Amino acid sequence: MTEQISDDPGRVSSPATSSAPVPPPQAPRARERESTALLIGLAGWLIPGLGHALQKMWGRAITIFATVAILVALGTGMRGNIFVSSGGDAFDTLGYIADLGTGCFYFLARNLEKTGPDVSHANGDYGTRFMATAGVLNLLAALHAFEAARGHKA
Amino acid sequence: MSDIPGIHLSHFQALLLFALIISVAFGFLSRRRWPDRIKYILWSFMLFLLVGLGIGWAMYPFSR
Repeated sequence: MTEQISDDPGRVSSPATSSAPVPPPQAPRARERESTALLIGLAGWLIPGLGHALQKMWGRAITIFATVAILVALGTGMRGNIFVSSGGDAFDTLGYIADLGTGCFYFLARNLEKTGPDVSHANGDYGTRFMATAGVLNLLAALHAFEAARGHKA
Repeated sequence: MSDIPGIHLSHFQALLLFALIISVAFGFLSRRRWPDRIKYILWSFMLFLLVGLGIGWAMYPFSR
């Protein structure tokens, strides 16, 4: 800053002191970038891999989509439990949040699994874990896409 | 999928599948270059198997 000190309070000594504080020119662009990053993160959650695809990270996008799709297909195929919002306890709520992490695949899985879960065998129990893992992995991938869109190292 | 019989996997098959799928996803997410990805995938896969088998054997005395 090259502001000069003046004895006369009415005298303008520098252009910076003559006007009201102006926000830095990068602020609107940064806000726009943040909102775009948020939208990319949401897109990545809703459709696994879309957040990376929008940033032209094709390898990661395809891998995330395929991974979540395979895990959900295995989870429902093994007749795992797909939690609903009206769960009775905290574990049901946590399971619902994890399952909901798969985005659109959650609703697809609900429609595919018409015979209901069968967790009386190990297979059904594994299916429940596969489904929850798919959700948590997709949430992690969406966060990764969000951070990449904000310009952080990814 | 609901019209066909459910998929039946043994414990070890489920462990293998899980380890492979998650290792590939972690490798692609956390590394950029292909050699680094492959190294990470193999390392992560081996650790999944080792830890899974280790925990399995650790639980063996309590399984009956």
